[in-house]
Amino acid sequence: MDLSVIDWSDIWIATWETLVMTGVSLFFTILLGLPLGILLFVTAKRQLLEQGFVYTVLSFVVNVLRSVPFLILLIVMIPVTVILIGTSLGVEGAIPPLVVGTAPFFARLVENVLREVDRGVIEACQAMGIRTHRIIFGALLPEALPGLIAAVTVTAITLMSYAAMSGVIGGGGLGDLAIRFGYQRFQTEVMVITVALLVVLVQIIQYSGDRLVLYFTRK
Amino acid sequence: MIRIENLRKTYRAADGREVEALTDINLEIGTGEVFGIIGRSGAGKSTLIRTLNLLERPSAGRVLVDGEDITTLDSEGLYALRRRVGMIFQHFNLLNAKTVADNIDWPLKATGQGNAAERAARVKELLALVGLSEQGHKYPSQLSGGQKQRVGIARALANRPQLLLCDEATSALDPETTQSILRLLLDINRQLGLTIVLITHEMQVIRTICDRVAVIDGGRIVESGKVVDVFLHPQHPVTRSMVAQSDALAAASFAPAHAYMSDKLRGTLVRLTYIGDVTYQPILSRIMAGAKVQVTILQGEVSSIKDVPFGQLLLELEGGEDDIRAVFAELDRHQIHHEVLQ
Repeated sequence: MDLSVIDWSDIWIATWETLVMTGVSLFFTILLGLPLGILLFVTAKRQLLEQGFVYTVLSFVVNVLRSVPFLILLIVMIPVTVILIGTSLGVEGAIPPLVVGTAPFFARLVENVLREVDRGVIEACQAMGIRTHRIIFGALLPEALPGLIAAVTVTAITLMSYAAMSGVIGGGGLGDLAIRFGYQRFQTEVMVITVALLVVLVQIIQYSGDRLVLYFTRK
Repeated sequence: MIRIENLRKTYRAADGREVEALTDINLEIGTGEVFGIIGRSGAGKSTLIRTLNLLERPSAGRVLVDGEDITTLDSEGLYALRRRVGMIFQHFNLLNAKTVADNIDWPLKATGQGNAAERAARVKELLALVGLSEQGHKYPSQLSGGQKQRVGIARALANRPQLLLCDEATSALDPETTQSILRLLLDINRQLGLTIVLITHEMQVIRTICDRVAVIDGGRIVESGKVVDVFLHPQHPVTRSMVAQSDALAAASFAPAHAYMSDKLRGTLVRLTYIGDVTYQPILSRIMAGAKVQVTILQGEVSSIKDVPFGQLLLELEGGEDDIRAVFAELDRHQIHHEVLQ
């Protein structure tokens, strides 16, 4: 293996692009997925704001989006992405499909985390005469915080691998580099380095997430 | 304070059948009273106490709190009611993510009571009331079970309720801690004039702090009245078996002595029950001094239920029929209840 063929500045730019894609799409994934997950939880049967119809509709939409393989979603989303931000290429072009692909996944994770919160605690809040929105934001979410952080961690890692996949349709970042140089030009060295960098990034995300979970766990 | 009229609760089981959890419940609970509801698990006691703040909505009947039928309240009215009614739970149900002080502050903050300084002062006062002044900064996971329930009590009292509901509040605690929590509840009842309704399956709890008790079985109230009356003269089979199983009132059952003595008995087996001041007076000795009857004490207990002293004795009386009848007459005159067992 000859590392001298590698253009390191390309690698660092691609790494930065991967981090930007992951970070920005994580932000929007949380922005959309967290409220969606909360809605799924509170409208479910025997929950705070039981709404059978709303739950069924939301749940169906989430399932539909989750059943589309991400590679297909990348392609299907191209016209939508062009309308939204003017291009379907590069770092910006990858973000809308990333968000649409992971927000429903994150919403399901949020729903499951919220279900783990002790029912008795929520009931105690109801018995105090506290309004539902205060219970959700003042008790339910703080109680679920460690679980929510763990869900964000899992989602961030999923996003990073999806971001790499977006290289196939011309998204930026390490995935793009691996496909253009490592695959199409047979530069094995580039492939090895990008994979190694992705492994390191995932480790860092997982480790930081675990530390945060521990920090916020009061049990 | 509370009147429950013809309350019924049915729910639909998983297989679609209607199950009747509570049937025709009628109860009246006075202001400042400590009222106990005792029953085995599945008897419906938990459902019953939860109708008092509508965590459980009755299927029929009325629940009046301070003369107001709470089953007709709109959501605003229900919020207001729940702020006037505190509740504590078997598993404490504290917020793990908040400190002890923040747990107590939470019902005040979340219902918009007072400013930060006023609330902090109130929290301090409540911590002192439940004996946790030094623990305010800790998280619930750092506390023992008894301390957690103290936090639960402080939190329930934060909004100055007139009524406190205790849902198996001591069932997860060891006997010693149970006693200290019960003492605290009794103190609060006396200091603040708070009405307390509690449910439990433990006789000891009823006996220690309740003024009146209702026995619930199969979703129906089978017996109710003053604790001393219900426990010393249980009428319903369920009450009898609960009393018999309870160590607290071992003398009421007399099972061991009875089995051992049955073939050796010569005289008449009599159970005496007496309540109140008479407990600490030498009446038995006075009666027996003048009687031509031999008395053997087989088993007995002198104790108290809440503040009411009582005694129960199992006696064997040997003597002529007339002499024994004379003893019974004397007992009646001193209001000592007697019951011939054999």
